[in-house]
Parts: sequence; C-alpha cells; structure tokens
Amino acid sequence: MNRARSSAAILGLVVSGFGSTGCMEFEDPPEVELKTNVVDWREEIIYQVLIDRFADGDWGNNFSVYPSAPGKWHGGDWKGLEQRLDYLDELGVTTLWISPVVKNVYTDAGFDAYHGYWAQDLTQPAPQFGDLAALQSLVKAAHGRNIKVILDIVTNHMGQLFFYDINGNGQADDPLNQSVPGTPNVFKENEYDPTYDVRGVQAETSLGESGLAPIIFAHDPASNHMPPFPEILQNPLAYNRKGRTYNFDDPDQLVRGDFPGGLKDVNTELCPIRDAMVDAYTRWIELTDIDGFRIDTVKHVENGFWRHFTQKVRQRLAAKGKTNFFMFGEAFDGRDQLVGSFTKNGNDAPPPADELATDNQCVTDGVPLTADMLDSVFYFPQQFQVIRDVFRYRGPTSNIQKLWADRAVNYGVTPAQGGAVNASGQGVSPQKLLVNFLDNHDVPRFLFTGAGMYPEDPIFGTPLSLETRRKMLHNALLFLFTEEGIPCVYYGTEQDFQGGNDPGNREDLWTSGYDMAAPTFQWIRRLSEIRRKYPALSKGDLQILWASDRTGPSDPDANVFAFERTGGDAGDSYSIVVINANIEKEGSPEFGGQPMQVGAAPGTVLVDVLNEGGQTYPVTNDGRLSIKLPPSSGAVLVPESQR
Amino acid sequence: MRRDDAIFTRGRTLVYRAGVRRSGPEFGPRRSRLHGVPSALLAAALCASPSLAAAQTEPTVDPKPATSEGAPPPADAPPAPPPAPEAGKQADPPATNDGAAAQKREGAGDVKPAEPKAEAPKAAEAPKAAEPPPPESGFFLGSYGRVGAATDFRKRPGRDADLVARGSRLDESPYFELDVQRQDYWKATGTTTRAVITLGTSAPLFHYNADFTIRMAVRNLFLQANNIVTKGLSAWVGSRMYRGDDAYLIDYWPLDNLNTMGGGLRYDFANGRTFIAWHAGLNQPRTGFFSQTVARTPALNQVGAANVNILDRQKFITSLKASHVVKVGETAGVKAVLYGELHDIPSGQRETEVKGAFETLPADFGYVVGAQFGAFTGRDASHVNLFIRYAGGAAAYGEFGTPFQLAPDRTSAGARELWITLSGNWETGPLGLMAAGYFRSFRDASEGLDYNDVDEGIIMARPHFFLTEWGGIATEISYQAQQRGVRYQPPTPPGQPIPAPTNDPVMGGLFRIGFVPFLNPAGKGSYSRPQLRLIYLLTHRDEGARSMYPKDDVFSLREWEHFFGVGVEWWFNAQTTYGG
Repeated sequence: MNRARSSAAILGLVVSGFGSTGCMEFEDPPEVELKTNVVDWREEIIYQVLIDRFADGDWGNNFSVYPSAPGKWHGGDWKGLEQRLDYLDELGVTTLWISPVVKNVYTDAGFDAYHGYWAQDLTQPAPQFGDLAALQSLVKAAHGRNIKVILDIVTNHMGQLFFYDINGNGQADDPLNQSVPGTPNVFKENEYDPTYDVRGVQAETSLGESGLAPIIFAHDPASNHMPPFPEILQNPLAYNRKGRTYNFDDPDQLVRGDFPGGLKDVNTELCPIRDAMVDAYTRWIELTDIDGFRIDTVKHVENGFWRHFTQKVRQRLAAKGKTNFFMFGEAFDGRDQLVGSFTKNGNDAPPPADELATDNQCVTDGVPLTADMLDSVFYFPQQFQVIRDVFRYRGPTSNIQKLWADRAVNYGVTPAQGGAVNASGQGVSPQKLLVNFLDNHDVPRFLFTGAGMYPEDPIFGTPLSLETRRKMLHNALLFLFTEEGIPCVYYGTEQDFQGGNDPGNREDLWTSGYDMAAPTFQWIRRLSEIRRKYPALSKGDLQILWASDRTGPSDPDANVFAFERTGGDAGDSYSIVVINANIEKEGSPEFGGQPMQVGAAPGTVLVDVLNEGGQTYPVTNDGRLSIKLPPSSGAVLVPESQR
Repeated sequence: MRRDDAIFTRGRTLVYRAGVRRSGPEFGPRRSRLHGVPSALLAAALCASPSLAAAQTEPTVDPKPATSEGAPPPADAPPAPPPAPEAGKQADPPATNDGAAAQKREGAGDVKPAEPKAEAPKAAEAPKAAEPPPPESGFFLGSYGRVGAATDFRKRPGRDADLVARGSRLDESPYFELDVQRQDYWKATGTTTRAVITLGTSAPLFHYNADFTIRMAVRNLFLQANNIVTKGLSAWVGSRMYRGDDAYLIDYWPLDNLNTMGGGLRYDFANGRTFIAWHAGLNQPRTGFFSQTVARTPALNQVGAANVNILDRQKFITSLKASHVVKVGETAGVKAVLYGELHDIPSGQRETEVKGAFETLPADFGYVVGAQFGAFTGRDASHVNLFIRYAGGAAAYGEFGTPFQLAPDRTSAGARELWITLSGNWETGPLGLMAAGYFRSFRDASEGLDYNDVDEGIIMARPHFFLTEWGGIATEISYQAQQRGVRYQPPTPPGQPIPAPTNDPVMGGLFRIGFVPFLNPAGKGSYSRPQLRLIYLLTHRDEGARSMYPKDDVFSLREWEHFFGVGVEWWFNAQTTYGG
C-alpha cells in the first residue's frame, strides 16, 4: 500500500510537472484539406506583401536583423502578417500575394535574401519568416476571413549557389583576370557571375580555353550557401551554365543565361527538372491550401516548361479537390505581345506540333499536354504605358485605348482548361484576368519623386507637392480598381510610401503605425467597397467611352478618360468611370461641344457613388452624358436604380 | 648490387650500401675536425643500427617526440633510481623541503620522496620494522620550474641549438609546474587517497614580452587510492602523466611517457622491491587524423551553422610494466623493468574536399616493447640505467603523435622507432659526473626514404666539481648528429655549376662545450636543487647541420654559436607523475 501511494505521488508530480510546462503540441494540426476558396478571381483585390517588411510578429526568428539597412533582413514574418489581418480586412483586401516562402541563401555580397528570390531549398520554409506551422496558420486565418493567398514562386533560377571554376583552382576568384586573346589586355571576370557564353562558360588557362568550366557548390551553412534541394538540383546538368545574361534580346541568353547577380539558371528543358518543379511547388499548396501562384521571371523560361508546369499543377491539385487555382506570371517587360505570349491558351496561338510533341515526351502520367499555359500575367505593359505615361507623366489617354485595343489578340481569349473560372464554372479568358498594378517591389513607387523621375513640375522642375501627387495616386487607384482585370496593390501604397528603386521601395510598413485613418488607406478602402458592391466593376465587359490625344490647357478633354462596364458575368450591373488625369484644369469627356455617348438608356439617371454628395447625371435623350471633373479627380456613375 | 646490401632506398633506387660500415670518412665533407672522434662513434652506431640495415620507408615522425614542455617537469628530477614501492611512497606525506631534511638525504635538496638513494632500502625494510605511523592528511604543494635568460653574444636571444630530438637542458626555455595535492588517510579502510592537480605553463613569460595572457595546461588531474582492497594495491583514475625513470641530462623518459585520460592499477609485492602496473587510457590529438568537425545547416530548419563531428575517434592506449630490484649489499641494487604498450585506433570516416563525399580511415594499431636495466649504489645518487624501447605501427609516432606518411593501406603499419638510451650519474667526494646518450632510429610507414626518416643520437657528459657545499663549476660536453632520409645537396657559390646531390643521406653534426658555474643552496650533489647557474655554451655546427635549417635562418649561416645567460632550476615535492 505504501509503495502504491508513493507511486501515485510520483506520478502526480510528473503529471503536474508536465502540466506546468505545457505539452508540446501545435495548436493547428498540419493536416490541410485542399479546397477551392475562390468564386471568381476578378472579384478579388490583391495586396502584395513583402513579408520581411510588413510586420514582425515573432522576434524569435529575427536572425541578423538590421532594420537600418534597406538591403538587410528587417524582421517581418508570417505571424506578423497574420496578426495584421484586421488591417487588411479593413482596407478591403481579399487576396494576399506573399513573397516567396522557400529557404534562401541568407546573404550574399552584403545583401540579404529578405525578398525571397534567392532560393536554395525548395522544400523548406525560410526560417526567418517562421515555420510551416506559422505559414499554415497564416493561410488558415486568412481563409477564415475569406482572404485568399497567392504564393510567389521562382522556377527560372536558384540563388547564387555555385561558382564556375574557370581557372580550375577550386576557389571562387573575384575578380579573375582573364586575358584578351591576341592582346596584352586583361579583363576582370567574376567566377560567381561570369559573362554569358553561348557554348557554356568556358574554363580558361593562360594558354587558352579548356572546355566547359566545372561548377562548384559553395558550402557555408552560416550564410546558407549550401547545395540546393530537391537533390536533383545538385546535379550540374540541372543548370544551363552559360553565365550572366547581358543581352535580353538574345533569345538564348534570355532563356538560358543566368539572371544578373549570379542567380543560376535552371535547365527547365529537362523532363526531371520540370517534374521536380511541379512536385516542389505543388507540395506547398498541398501543405497550406494556398490559392494561387505568382510566378517570377516567366519570360526567362521556355513556353514548353509553362505548358508542363501549369497543366500538371492544375491536374494534381484538381485531383485533390482544389480547382480555380490561379497562376499568373511576371514578365518585367513593356512589350505587350511578349508578355501576352504566356497566356495563349487553346488555339489562340498553338505551338508547332513538333514542339508540343517534344514537350509531351516529359509527360509520364498519360495525360498529354495541350497548348495551355498561364491564367494571367502581371500587366507590365500597362504599368509602363498607362500608369507611368498617362497617370504620372500626364500623357494622352489615347495611350490606354491603343494598349487595350490589342488586348484580346495579345493575351488570348481562350481560358486555360482547368484554370480560372467564373461563378458558373466557365473559364475566364486571360484578357479579362490581367493583374493590374501601379507599382511593385521592382519599380519605384507611384509617389516617388527622385531625380529624373516623374511626377515633377514640368516648368520649374521641382517635385510636385505630396498633396498633388496623392491626388494623382488616388486617380490611378480609381483606374486600377475599376478597369477590367484584377487590381493589385503594393503594400505601403495605402500609407503613401514614396520609395524609389529597389531596395528603396521596400520600406517597413510598421513605420506607418498601420494608420487606418491615412487618406490613401481610406481611399483604397472606399474603392474596395465600390468594387465589391457593383459587380460591373469587376466582371462587366468594358467599353471605352472617351479617350483623347489632347493634353493642351485649352482642350476640354485633355487627359480625360472614360469607360463603361456592364454585361459579361455582371448581368445588368452597369457603371461608368470617368477620370480626369490632368492635374491643373477641369476636364470633361467632350469635344467640340459634344459630350460623350454612353450605353445607358436615355433618361437614365446616373449617380456618382465615389464622391461625397452623390451628384446625379442624367443621360440625355440622344444617349449622351455631360460631366465636368475637377483636376485630378474621377467619378463612378451607376444607375440610381442600382445604387 | 644486391638489394640486401642496401640500407637506404629512395623508392627502388639504392643509394647507400650497408655493406660499407660508415665511419668517419663517410661524413667527411660535412664534418668538422672538431667532431671527429664523437662523430665517428655515433656514426658507427648509426650505421650499425639494425633499422638502418633494412630498406626504409618514409617517416614522419616529429623528430622531437616528447618536447621539453611535453614531458619534462616534475620528474625533471634526478634519474629515477630504483624507486621505493609507489604505494608505500605515496602513503607518506610529501617530503618537506626544509634545509635540514635535505641535509639528511644524500640527494640534498632533491626532495623527491621516492629517491632511490636512501629511500629504496628503507622502503624495502619498512614493512618488517615497526608499523609506520599513518600518512599525514592535508594539502601539499609542489613545484618544478626552470627559468633562464640568455643572449647569443650578438644581442639576439639565446636559442636552443639542438639538432636532435632530445638535447641539453641548459638552453631549454622556461617551464613551470605547480602541484597541488590533497592527501587523506582513511582510518576505516586503511586507504590513503591523493588527489593531484598539476598546472603547467611555459615561455614566453610576462617579464619578457609584457603579454599578460598565459597558456596553461592541466598536466595532472587524478586521484589515486593506495592500499585499497588489499595492502599493496593502488588504483587511480583521472587525467595523468604516467612515467617511469628519466634520463635527466636529455630531459627525456626513455621507456614510458604517456599522457592519457583513464586509470590504472598497481600492485606492490610485500618484498617492497617488485611491482606490476597496468594502465589504460584514451586521448585524442587535435589533428584531422582523429577528428574532423564540419559545418552543417542546423537541424529542423534553424538558421545558422552547426558543428558536426564527422570523424571522432580516440586512441586507446594500455600499458603493462613489471619491475624488480635485486639488492646488492646494504644499499645498492640492480633493477630490471619490462614494459609494453598497445595502441588501438578504431576506423572512422571523414569528409573529403569534395563536400558530401566521404572516405574511410582504416583502424590502426601499434605496440611498444621495452626494457630497462639499472644499477644504483643507494648511498648517493650514483646510478646507471640502460633503456631499450622499440615501437611499431601507430605507437612509433608517440602517444600524442599523429601517424603520417602512411602505408599504402593508409595505416601506420611498417612505422617503427628504436630508442636505446644510456643515462647515469656518479658522485664521489667533490666530483660528480652525469652522462647520457641515446640512439634513435625512426621510419615512418611509407615506403622509401624521406625527410622524416631519421637516425640520430647524442652523447653528453656533465662533470661537476663542487668547490664547496654551496656551489661549484660544471662543464657540459656533447656531440649530436642526425641523419635524414634525403640526399645532401652541397652548397654552391654563386656562378658555379650546381653539383648533383650526393648519394648519401644528409647528415649533420653538432659539438658543444659549456661552462656552468653554479650555486646549490641546498648543498652539494648533482641533483641538488634549487640550482642557480651562470651558463656559457659554445656550439659548433657542421655544414650538414647548417643545411638542415631553412635559408636565412641564422643557424643555416653560422658555424659557431654562443649561448650566455643565467638560469635556475628547482623542484619541490614534484614527483606525482610516476605511475609505474
């Protein structure tokens, strides 16, 4: 009996001991059920988050953090983002595009991989942002608020993981002196990032070339310059090994050259590599139930890869219950045809039969590839030709009309099979799914006023006031939230961040105090509400009502643009958007005394739902509409009956 | 040429005929006339060496096996005579160092309790006499130290000029040890325990370079229990220098000199003149042969780098020693020791320069067999000891050594080392004569000869003339020579054609004579310490010896070398290292 009592006492102590320290278990079990969380991607409002700069929710993962240096880790993480979902909910955001989650080379040449684009291990989360449980928790919390999540991925290249041993001495020489044949001259080369050579980077001695230079993977755990994962990426054949691209107009350099900065180009033409990329990135979806991919540097990868990757990802996820998985690519390029070439599905621009046959040699599951590729792309041509040239440079609004005129041809009218769909399950064509944006992490922010950058006073050359620039920004945001496609807001825009080029445009959001009363925050919140309230603004077909070549001070329609949206998947919902991008004078969509013709029936009374006061505008008997807008302003008109 | 005639080979090229006994003329071109007689003697020994008679392989041994700092201290004391039974000895409280006590012993000033001279007979007879009082309990301090300051007459520091592994003590750099002991007699069991902490450090010292930092080693940290379980049985566990008798003049323990962490047992027979001792221990020299630590990404996707031991193997050493003293007359005796060691290194693997690729390191093995024969008078410190030690395999590289220049199977099989050492002291009236000499032949495990294959030796004598009880004058005369397994390239004056290397292995010789007036506060005696010295050494280095130093080293340029300075050496109660 005594022994039994003693045992019970010891057991009690042990149990209470465990109780006092807490049991080791995660709050959210890792099992994730894949679901389709999106009805129609056109209803979404994307918010781009650079995780390292958004919110620091866990100081436990702040390794080597230097907030004063723009190019270093600052401490933001997934937990911080989760803790700030209220802020985003209030802003009206419905989808988060989060920066890459995979483990990176931590630091290179004094710069850190806070952005996430220097992948080292495609199978592990970046520990600076948290662990898998934190990422799962973020996604789950977002879904709990009906906020979707898009994951940023890179398939074109890996981080700076190896060097080309050009001189064969087994060490990375920087710089390496190389002789110029036939001359006494030498030039400096860098074995981590040597110049492109169509034959592959050549080994070279003082006596001349000696064949392909071997590559040597670095081994430095502290900076995570370690051999990559999955393991197939440790095979030298997994890379094109041609050196740094210096001419992006050369197709071979574009596709097979290393990305400047020593980012090693993956040989995505190899079937095992294609499968490895599908496996590696689909796994993240299976682990988290994330809803889409934003894919980096798509123009640096051959179309065959995109056919394989997108179709196999869709098929694999659909088999597990996830459809309407959205994939849009980034081609940092102003050429509309080029950017649109990645969304040519079906018969829009089918590849040659032999090319498709070659691609199909990589298929092992018996489901042959079609011509389909991405659902959408980041609309970079619009960023250059409209956001920059019209809204910042105050160019003619006819630019918009010209750009959009080729939209169907350049981006395609055929939805990807198994790709993005509408509420009825019908595919949505790429031309209606373009992801629109004002700025992002690769371009200066809209409000930037640095040297040589617009907007600036054209006469005195001094920067425009913040108030003026903010009005211009609000006008551009109005355009972004009402045009066809999906709006994407870069974090910090709502707080009037004004950073210039990378890394100046990657400010810490916490310096704003997450001010929800900030004027631009409130403006975006309002635009979000309007967009959600009036289906025409997200799903209606778009018809340009007014565009003008005129920008002169006496031109009544200088910098004025107007379009109406209705029909399509929006039913009867109707709206007109009128924008005066001129910062100095009133503007009106009229010329020669003739106001613009609209599609609304004569007698329809339209009401401005954007501005205070709810001013009304009747459609005349001949179907015209008169409206005058102050400088840098706009209006969203809907039938009073739909208000 | 018959292959069995060859004693040195370079690969398959025979370069040296053993059939010709190499006497003086063989070393002629590089020999000073001053070196004639001693070098002839030594050369004869070298050439007659059995190890030389076999075709060799490449060595590697650090030609200086046990450095002065590595092995010297406490026992830097007199050449250990036939020791009193260790158990009984250690059961006694450490001897005091008061002058009176020193006076009572012929080793005046040498406070080693185990001094053979007077102690051995006493110890042998003690058990038969009245029961001795129990050992004193308490803390005891001991120390060994030597300090010196010298110049070369050119205003540069005096420098140890020895060519061979073990040379004169007079030009050795400062070294110091502090012994802290705690001894307790446990009435309940009759056992005496002794915990020993020995801290050692070496030059440079603060007053020389103003550097406030110090590197200190824990040379001992063990506890020994005497008369445990049964009378005469002792056991120890800890980290320990484990040594037998030394050859004082050359600062060396010719038979056994181990540094391990482990333990041991010793049984002293009731006759007080016989014991056997066994020990087993581990060590892990800090080289890539035993351990390799690499950086890896931390587990569970943590940031940073973690160290991982890919290779982590220890050397296991066990030794067995048996010693017996035969009494001769009242105090004298003859001593015989048989000794053996086994060294075992397990197999392991390490990462190659190609990251992620591993190679296997095979297990390795070594052994030592040796013997000691000695005689002592027991009336004073007069004695003579002959040591013979042969080591094979991994043991040839020493207990702290790392096998190098390996055999094709990447083991140390084939490596071998022979030491033959003679050491002694004779004192009569105002005269004393200390003498020592050794011959050493080392071959590493690789085939053919190379720089690390070494034959060397020294003969040395230090006569003392005690002018009074408190001091006198000593001289030290020595000749040392070394031969290495590379061919000699004669120097060539500028502009002259460069001759072909000789067919002979390079050999250098060094003759030295010194004058050492000294003061012995504890009274006269060759081993009387402390001893304050004024030292002058004159060294002649022959051409072969100069060729063994790199270009621009002054030793490669100078034929004559001076060493002038002062020195002091002491030992107080410092004898805790002896285990066998």
